[in-house]
Amino acid sequence: MLKTLIDAFALITTWEVIIAMFAASVYGLVIGSLPGLSATMATALLVPVTFYLSPIAAIATIVAASTMAIFSGDIPGALLRIPGTPASAAYADEAYAMTRKGEAELALGAGVWFSAVGGIAGTLSLMILAPPLAEIALSFSTFEYFWLAFLGLMCATLVARSSPVKAIASMFIGLLVACIGIENPGGVPRFTFGMTDLFGGIEPIPALVGVFAVAQVMRAMLTPEPPPIPKRRFGSIMAGQWKLTKKYHVQMTRGNIIGIIIGVLPGAGADMAAWVSYAMSKRFSKEPEKFGTGHVEGLVEAGASNNASIASGWVPSLLFGIPGDTIAAIAIGVLYMKGLNPGPTLFTEKASSMYAIYLMFIIANIIMIPLGIVMIRLASYVLRAPRSSIMPVIMLCCAVGSFAIGNNMFGVVTVAMFGIIGYVMEENGYPVAAMVLGIVMGTMVEQAFVTSLIKSDGSILPFFERPIAAILAAMAIGALVWPALVWVWRKLKREAPAAASAR
Amino acid sequence: MRLPDRVTGLFLVGLGAAAAYGGWLLPPVPGQPVGPNVFPLVIGTGLALCGLAIAFGIGHSFEEAEELIPVEGGQPKPAPPGRFYGLRALLPPALLLFYVAVADKLGFILTAGLIVFVTSTALGARWKLSLPLAVLAPIGVHLIFSKLLRVPLPAGLLPMPW
Repeated sequence: MLKTLIDAFALITTWEVIIAMFAASVYGLVIGSLPGLSATMATALLVPVTFYLSPIAAIATIVAASTMAIFSGDIPGALLRIPGTPASAAYADEAYAMTRKGEAELALGAGVWFSAVGGIAGTLSLMILAPPLAEIALSFSTFEYFWLAFLGLMCATLVARSSPVKAIASMFIGLLVACIGIENPGGVPRFTFGMTDLFGGIEPIPALVGVFAVAQVMRAMLTPEPPPIPKRRFGSIMAGQWKLTKKYHVQMTRGNIIGIIIGVLPGAGADMAAWVSYAMSKRFSKEPEKFGTGHVEGLVEAGASNNASIASGWVPSLLFGIPGDTIAAIAIGVLYMKGLNPGPTLFTEKASSMYAIYLMFIIANIIMIPLGIVMIRLASYVLRAPRSSIMPVIMLCCAVGSFAIGNNMFGVVTVAMFGIIGYVMEENGYPVAAMVLGIVMGTMVEQAFVTSLIKSDGSILPFFERPIAAILAAMAIGALVWPALVWVWRKLKREAPAAASAR
Repeated sequence: MRLPDRVTGLFLVGLGAAAAYGGWLLPPVPGQPVGPNVFPLVIGTGLALCGLAIAFGIGHSFEEAEELIPVEGGQPKPAPPGRFYGLRALLPPALLLFYVAVADKLGFILTAGLIVFVTSTALGARWKLSLPLAVLAPIGVHLIFSKLLRVPLPAGLLPMPW
């Protein structure tokens, strides 16, 4: 244990890792603070760069950039009432109300401080949860993997904030995309339409870049420019945070725990964690009437929650290759490329790399405090950059980055196509995150499904025979039936008052 | 680009049916009950069912009224000028395809400069901003990706000195 820890330290104390981490932190802070550029997009655009780094440095950039971006989304939320990332949308109104009351320092300070605390709590959960789960997961067969993947896909649709039917449809579209190529049980070209470029299948990364970056540039074409930020001088940012921590420690802990749970659930990420925690905070608050008028309580809980989910989202990613959120989906792609294939054996064979990941998360959350304070002070300059100068650069990065992934132009075509697909889907209420999950997990789901079917000789019964498989199956089927039950229940509830009034 | 649910739903039915049929046509692995055909069959059927449900508005009732989160900022423009205003959204993918088509001939710097200039102008920048940006951004990106990360970007008509 101690030796692995020392090895892990040796892994992360190289200049390459330190520089990569610092640069990625600054990049994450800037992208996260710019309205319309989400943390997922920041991470997706970073992937081509990670190709050329060593495995640990590559993961360091992902960890640092995603952690920073989730926090810095709070900055324009508090100053402009425009969340920098969707994860800050839940409490942007509240933070802005505080700014209007002249408490911008307190709001932003709470953002950076409780984000850091949340991030560290999430990391602890990753350290504590992952190894014992890995022990259990070692004895999993394809049946368990199938149900696990199925459960993951169902979770993504359950938590979607749109219609669950549309979420399921999005997920199926993603799985269908994953069918393309010759990497299937028969090794035959499937849905390639005779195009050799499609033989290798659709790479998840260009698809992600298209859905999250190109679609965003497309939306920018039709929406007006956000207003410039008013110049202001900030007082002490960290003053009063310790007092808040003591006053709201219950809320903070609850936020951390909710964030961890939502992070672990596949498909649900920081945005969801923030919404749930903010709502929870209001529900259980002693002074709910103050919410919406610039009250810091909800900020504490939601800020602690969204950053906690970032680290815990890595638990299913590292263990099973099932992404906890869209950022983790990107991380899985990078892990595969760097020879750190997700799976329970990762924790025994590559233990020092795992410890290095934990350490990097903790370091990223600690350096977030000084860097975040600098960023807050510089925000009025950074946020002054007009959109018409940022979006073109994003376009270039999309083109070059997607080319760099396979050094062929087909990647660029993929990005353009998925830009259109993502834009149309989002406009019509189909959640793209569910599709992304489908694309990332497709191959794995199919493999587990078909291998299980071959083993069982086409019979369905063995899918339920092993104890853990049966439990997972019950949960998965429950998740599938749940929306239907809710629907029936709501129908009954709506009909009951109608019947009562008829009498 | 907001389409009625009936249209998107029926499109999904078509897509699902096509996928299921396409999967059904695939050759099975000899001597095995399941092969590459099963998965698309299942997915396609599921997708078609979802499409039907969407087209007939099942489950629509618990689509929560979307809270307007100003992620991009501000309210959408009240009255978009012109009928073809919505088509502006297609500009970014079109520019990417333009890159695919001509980058090998023109080279990275020239193509990228054009893309930056057009995107920036479309987003409302004056030439005082978009012109210098169109010169500097491609050089900067070229420096990072080609020099530091060794991505073989096409040189074309205007190779960079490094």
